[in-house]
Amino acid sequence: MDDVKKAGMIALEKAVSAGASYADFRYTYTESESLSYNNGAPESVDESLDKGFGVRVIADGAWGFCSSADVTENEIIRVAEKAVEIAKASAILQTKPVELAPIEIYTDSYISSFNVDPFKISTAEKLQYLAYLDELMSQNEGIKYRNSFLDFRKINKNLLSTEGLDIHQLIVQSGAGVSVTAMRSHRERARRSYPANEGIFECKGYELLDEVDFENNIPIICQQAVALLEAEPCPSKTCDIVLDGSHVSLVIHESIGHALELDRVFGGERNFSGTSFATPEKLDNFKYASDIVSVVADATSPHGLGSFGYDDDGVKAHESDLIREGILVGYLSSRETAKRIGKLSSGAMRADGWGNVPIVRMTNTNLKPGNLTLDELISGVDDGLYMQTTSSWSIDDTRENFQFGCQIAWEIKGGKLGKMIKNPTYGGNTVSFWNSCDGIGNRSLWRVWGTPNCGKGQPGQNGRVGQGAAPVRIRNVKVGF
Amino acid sequence: MSRIIDIFEQSLKKSTADQTELVCEKEEFYLTRFAESRIHQNIGRADHTLWCRAVIGKKIGVAKTNILSQESINELVKTAIEICSQQVENPRFTSLVSSPKAQQTEGFYKSTAEYSPLNRAKAVKTIVDIAGQDKLATSGMFQTSTTELVVANSLGTRQQGKVTEAKISITLSDNSDRSGFAQAYSRDIKDIDFRDVANRGVQKASRPNKQVELQPGTYTVILEPEAVADFLLFLGFLGFGGRGMFNHRSFMADKIGSAIMSENVTIAEDPINPVIQYMSFDYEGVPRSKVVIVEKGIAKGVVYDSYYAHLNNVQSTGNALQPDNSYGPYPKAMVMDAGDKSLDEMIASTGRGILITHFWYLNFINPMLTTVTGTTRDGTFLIENGKITAPVTDMRISQSMLEAFNNVEALSKQRRLVPKFGVLMYVPAMKIDNFNFVSLA
Repeated sequence: MDDVKKAGMIALEKAVSAGASYADFRYTYTESESLSYNNGAPESVDESLDKGFGVRVIADGAWGFCSSADVTENEIIRVAEKAVEIAKASAILQTKPVELAPIEIYTDSYISSFNVDPFKISTAEKLQYLAYLDELMSQNEGIKYRNSFLDFRKINKNLLSTEGLDIHQLIVQSGAGVSVTAMRSHRERARRSYPANEGIFECKGYELLDEVDFENNIPIICQQAVALLEAEPCPSKTCDIVLDGSHVSLVIHESIGHALELDRVFGGERNFSGTSFATPEKLDNFKYASDIVSVVADATSPHGLGSFGYDDDGVKAHESDLIREGILVGYLSSRETAKRIGKLSSGAMRADGWGNVPIVRMTNTNLKPGNLTLDELISGVDDGLYMQTTSSWSIDDTRENFQFGCQIAWEIKGGKLGKMIKNPTYGGNTVSFWNSCDGIGNRSLWRVWGTPNCGKGQPGQNGRVGQGAAPVRIRNVKVGF
Repeated sequence: MSRIIDIFEQSLKKSTADQTELVCEKEEFYLTRFAESRIHQNIGRADHTLWCRAVIGKKIGVAKTNILSQESINELVKTAIEICSQQVENPRFTSLVSSPKAQQTEGFYKSTAEYSPLNRAKAVKTIVDIAGQDKLATSGMFQTSTTELVVANSLGTRQQGKVTEAKISITLSDNSDRSGFAQAYSRDIKDIDFRDVANRGVQKASRPNKQVELQPGTYTVILEPEAVADFLLFLGFLGFGGRGMFNHRSFMADKIGSAIMSENVTIAEDPINPVIQYMSFDYEGVPRSKVVIVEKGIAKGVVYDSYYAHLNNVQSTGNALQPDNSYGPYPKAMVMDAGDKSLDEMIASTGRGILITHFWYLNFINPMLTTVTGTTRDGTFLIENGKITAPVTDMRISQSMLEAFNNVEALSKQRRLVPKFGVLMYVPAMKIDNFNFVSLA
């Protein structure tokens, strides 16, 4: 038995002897490295090690959780007992005992797919790569600010439970991106980034860098940033819009992913992240979107940033339907929340590191691809805008009313792209927006975009999630706020 | 803490870097979350984060760990030096800083540090019971925590400090349109009156009359302190730091000495204010100091860490963030001067306007114009002829924050402590003219 498993067994035994009817022990050891380059010089090179464990229990029918960075026997015993003390305190307000949906019990080891361990590549080589990206950006004299970054994470995670779970996972994630800013005056600027607003993040190794075409795209975004200084502002009107895939990823994230987190639906985030309009009585009968829109939660998407082997309830990763041909048919759920609607968990219970309690999070929220090319999407618009790359976002606390902005747009007239537009924004209502979707890009335009910094919960937890997206066409949208 | 200092002393002696800085932030943290009038998440956490910043010439390497032992810290220093050796020079960097001992902060309270899970649950029950009398469901969070910070560097800086925090926020609601938010914060748990927090929430959620929808447009608004803090937080991130001044991305750049807000607005970074009781030094060990940012509407200055202080030819104000941050310095403890009116007087003087409790999901539309969008939330009310007449359906705003702070008709004499995203603010309510709403939320 290895040291982590021994530690887990001590924690579980102590929790049970202190009065827990259920307990799990989660240990994580995470290596991180982030590097950034700013206008020809390294801005930061940070390496980080983080380890610790958390003990989650049910005692007297209520939840308790305690965690520590100090993985020693005495501390494990203290933490397990404290978790039970906390649960018993929670119980004074518990009107009905916590119930969990059943799961299959696994003993397993999962390793995410990667070719080159980024932690075996030297810092010097990574800095050379950033210097190369910086050099590409510096070729355009109109660019005032150049930023680039690399980000790597290797997570070792063990989960043991009183139900017999014994799962180890090794997950490697990589990220990279660039952004450029052109400037006419201090208050007149234009920013472009690539491949998306926050770069690209996937469950991959260092090979990710070979798969991103910085060389051909950096000159394009530099030219666009400079041209945006002369572009016309976004008109205020109602028109059709076509959105690029990286931005559709954000729209899915905000208006579908978050809206379908079942803990939120039940009010668990009422005081902070808010609730959701997509309440349980709407399940299987609510027209969330047009018939061509189908969305799944899929923690098995190859290389998706939200992919894993098992969630932190121990549920094996799988695909589950959220919206099928426009109808709401499922939620992102945990064992506890799924039980409340008489379902099995969708396997979306995830914690940010060892020190946080698992909460319902997105995995990869994937809009299924359609059958149109980008030209076909655009050619179907008589008067509208084609928008690219997220720049701003805001959505209300029930996930209905939103306002999003992009870095760049082009006018569409008679099915053809026209002049460039700066600071394009649009707004609307989630349900009417998705019901106005009449075109989705095909498989060749589709990919899973990683979101490395999804915030939820108190204390704030950072989630790493993905959204499968292709460009979409939406009719009659209010633009130019 | 003395153990950490001892470990640091040993590691600093062994370091082969030109300059070495070691930082430890230790935290004992408890947070109870409740929703549907029951506790659904209840956690405790003991953690410590350790950073080493090593300097060789003008090369800098930063490494981080949460493994606290002599061996681990020695290894951390080696890793930072290894990163350094692979770095290229940063010509803008000059040196770490040598700082005198900071005056010990008063912000540690045993009553908060030792508050038990059962006491937290009982406090929540008090609120749930009060809300229940008005048939309102309770959701919220209640946090108690202790943070210790130790900074030591090879230039002789040695700082240690410890503060506690207690904060609670609640939203009371039912299945109709009723909802009300309230919060309280103190270093000392004994200063928090849970009944008062509950009653404020009930009062908001129980306003008479049916909710009304207003047309988008411009209105006079009264922002309660929590809503003022939402704006001030964004202004602080965006404009009150030395990095933005250096690269001209701040709205304060080129404006020092100029009027940028209404004459009745004065904002200071004031960590030593007895109400704030912030950690008395920053992550470089530089003692925190009071910085007047805006005085009677005139832009006066921003806050700095040592790096951006050097680039701007000024002294650090003690606003360095963690060594691995990439944001640059920003204010962490802002205080706004109070006005001379009560909130009731501000409402009574309003012919037609909107009272806003707080905002949700503010985000920039145009950072240089300080234009943000977001929605009102959990306590938005119509004011007619000096009286609150009805709850208002939440609305989306699109507003330049600077313009709002330049249209301030009045400020309240009462102020509240509002914590948001690690920034503590002591702010009044503000009455603002010509505030822009673009749609219903």
